[in-house]
Amino acid sequence: MDEIDSRILRELQHDFPLSERPYEVVAERLQISTKQLWARVQRMLDEGVIRRMGASFDSNKLGFSSTLAAVSVEPELVERAAKVIGQFHEVTHNYLRNDAFNIWFTLIAVDEKRIESVLEEIRTTLSLEKAAVLNLPVKRLFKLDARFDVSK
Amino acid sequence: MEYQISDIDKRILAALQGGFARSQTPYKDAAKQAGIPTEQLLAVLKDWKDHGKLRRIGSIVHHEKVGFSGGAMVAWLVDPEHVERVGTTLAGFKEVSHAYERRTAENWPYNVYTMVHGTDMQAVKKTVERMSETSAVSDYRILNTERELKKVPPTYIMNDPRCTMLDARTSRNSSIENPGSSIEKEEEQVC
Repeated sequence: MDEIDSRILRELQHDFPLSERPYEVVAERLQISTKQLWARVQRMLDEGVIRRMGASFDSNKLGFSSTLAAVSVEPELVERAAKVIGQFHEVTHNYLRNDAFNIWFTLIAVDEKRIESVLEEIRTTLSLEKAAVLNLPVKRLFKLDARFDVSK
Repeated sequence: MEYQISDIDKRILAALQGGFARSQTPYKDAAKQAGIPTEQLLAVLKDWKDHGKLRRIGSIVHHEKVGFSGGAMVAWLVDPEHVERVGTTLAGFKEVSHAYERRTAENWPYNVYTMVHGTDMQAVKKTVERMSETSAVSDYRILNTERELKKVPPTYIMNDPRCTMLDARTSRNSSIENPGSSIEKEEEQVC
């Protein structure tokens, strides 16, 4: 990554233009050619520096429900739990973490009822006690800004 | 009043939920997939942006690869009276990307959650200490990521036109009644 890559990443994380040829607008802002911008974006996608280009939505405002959930499973059950949990398309992120509640995952579903039934299905499939599953929906949002200050 | 998602909205979501195609005309391509004119797609996105339904368009970066290899979720135990002040204070740290108040459980009293990033775990820990001092909250748990088990963009609408996420409830009823076979069923299902 060089200085031009950093400038591109900073620019792409903010206000991607709503126009038919958005990369032309970005290239103009950065005062580089569209060809150069496009080649570098493709390279960063190939390298995985950019996971993807696209839109992030507010699921709740679009009418969907979401939550953060956690389960507490024995270490030898982690692989199976990861598989069981990951198979639901409603599960978007899932992490192994260092706590008694060791598997933490986010769900986006059509409504709260569906979230509860997914969690219940996970619980019964893994033979967990009710207390071993946490359902922690958001009550208040203070900040959501997953942009990174790419300095160099 | 519950927001009812329209057919056009569903088609737009289906076209955009997995990210842009590798194309210099991503909206044109998405519009084609949704079966609507590009102008209409752009107008809907503008409207969603204005109403907060669309958070952001742009690059989703791999934070470890842009120099932020440290990251942790931190759960804070905050006196309910002070949630507003503490939440706002914690959200004010530039190292914090997400800050929420969440529901608690009987056996899990932590009510405020932050995602904290840094160049490495040492930097993250230092930031968390500063956050604790500034907010005067001493009871917290740093939940380090040991492994990423899944990370995908949300699937709002199933790609198969015969079933959308809205149909998922009915299509899974059988496996809910019979949880032991849920995994096998999951793989067989179209939805």
